[in-house]
Amino acid sequence: MSISTERANGALIAKAEGRVDGANAREFQDDLEAVIGPADKLVLLDLENLSYISSAGLRVILLVARTLQKQKATLAVCSLSSSIREVFEISGFDKIIPVHDSREDAMAKLGG
Amino acid sequence: MERAFKILVVDDEPDLEPLMLQRMRRSIRRGQYQFVFAGNGVQALERLREDEEIDMVLSDINMPEMDGLTLLQQIPKVDPNIRSVIISAYGDMKNIRTAMNRGAFDFVTKPLDFNDLRVTIDRTVKHLLEWRGALSARDRLVALQNELDMASKMQQSILPTVFPEGVGYQVSGSMEPARSVGGDFYDVLQLSNDRIGLAVADVSDKGVPAALFMMSSRTLLKGSAIGCEKPGDALHEVNDLLNEDNETAMFVTMVYGVYDPANGKLTYANGGHNSPLLVRADGSSELLPLTGGVALGLVPDLEYHQETTTLAPGEFVIFYTDGVTEAMNEAEEEFGVERLQNIFAESPPDNAQGVNKAILETVNKFAGNASQSDDITCLTLQRGKMRS
Repeated sequence: MSISTERANGALIAKAEGRVDGANAREFQDDLEAVIGPADKLVLLDLENLSYISSAGLRVILLVARTLQKQKATLAVCSLSSSIREVFEISGFDKIIPVHDSREDAMAKLGG
Repeated sequence: MERAFKILVVDDEPDLEPLMLQRMRRSIRRGQYQFVFAGNGVQALERLREDEEIDMVLSDINMPEMDGLTLLQQIPKVDPNIRSVIISAYGDMKNIRTAMNRGAFDFVTKPLDFNDLRVTIDRTVKHLLEWRGALSARDRLVALQNELDMASKMQQSILPTVFPEGVGYQVSGSMEPARSVGGDFYDVLQLSNDRIGLAVADVSDKGVPAALFMMSSRTLLKGSAIGCEKPGDALHEVNDLLNEDNETAMFVTMVYGVYDPANGKLTYANGGHNSPLLVRADGSSELLPLTGGVALGLVPDLEYHQETTTLAPGEFVIFYTDGVTEAMNEAEEEFGVERLQNIFAESPPDNAQGVNKAILETVNKFAGNASQSDDITCLTLQRGKMRS
């Protein structure tokens, strides 16, 4: 698992690659918290190259979303592969975390 | 090391004490070393018993009452973590060898070269710090292992092992725990009018906190199931209760169904869990539709919709966790729903217990030498073959 970041149109885009499971969920959380700044208002998690996410990984996304909520910021995810999308749909996470088809789609809707 | 490294110097020469304090004064003033003294082995052992802070013994060999080589044998009985350095005559290989055999960490020779002694002490300090680090890592590992064992026992203790034997149906549950304790559970509840409640759930984390969350989820479901006629209402209630005090952002996915043996109807609500699988008597199968519910513990005030399906005589419904469908083989492929369905297509099942056994065996065979990373849990209901 690795995370690379870029900033565009006032949004922080964090791209996660590889697998997130119980064994590295903590690392995933630490890495995400390290890249998000206190001034970020919109964080877009690009999951295009994420091959697998377990419930422990979903929990990290939820924790980050809650932290961002406290600083009045938004977390959204985009570019989910069909298997990751299925995980979001089955768990109902797509009803809690905004899911977008692509970065462009997310930026257009979130006005970043 | 936060406090000064404490060295017990053992020698019957009274001149050594002032000499040592004088030559080591800088290290003493900087708080690096602290020296205490004893005149022979017997006095040294007394000091060691009185003062638990002594890290190292620096001892002469020839002394009255108890010599240094005898002292070396006694020190580990007082504290095995003390390190000893022997002062020997130059070239006295016989005694040096005996001292090393008796557990001395190092030696210095007479006449004492204080620079060499400083180097030897520093090396001993470094060794002891590493040794203590390893000891505390071992202690932490043991503590962690104990915690995982406790979580595992908590998990196992709440799973029913005896299943209700009603007229016209059969239920069987099984869980194969992963080595790192997961958070799966299943439950079978006796409800009014001979109905039964069936639940399979998966907590989002591992270890003791997850085990505690699992226990409370299971208890809340039991309470809500008895109070609520509809499975959707039960999940609604459990979700609200779990949300009341959940700073940890842990959650549980759960499918809960109520089966009525009188008409074969299974009404279920799904909170973020894998779809149950309906298996017909001929071995064909299909996933039951999702009900759009969100995993429990995430957000309060959610509605949980429910669906009803009617089992024909001989048909099965399997509730399972993602430990089944996400089991991986050595090539990192997932077991998936299709392989699950193939089990029954190839060999139509006969009874509920056989279904669980077939699933576990097939998943284990598929996984090969890949390690099991999640609990494998199945709860299977079969409507009796003969109409009751």
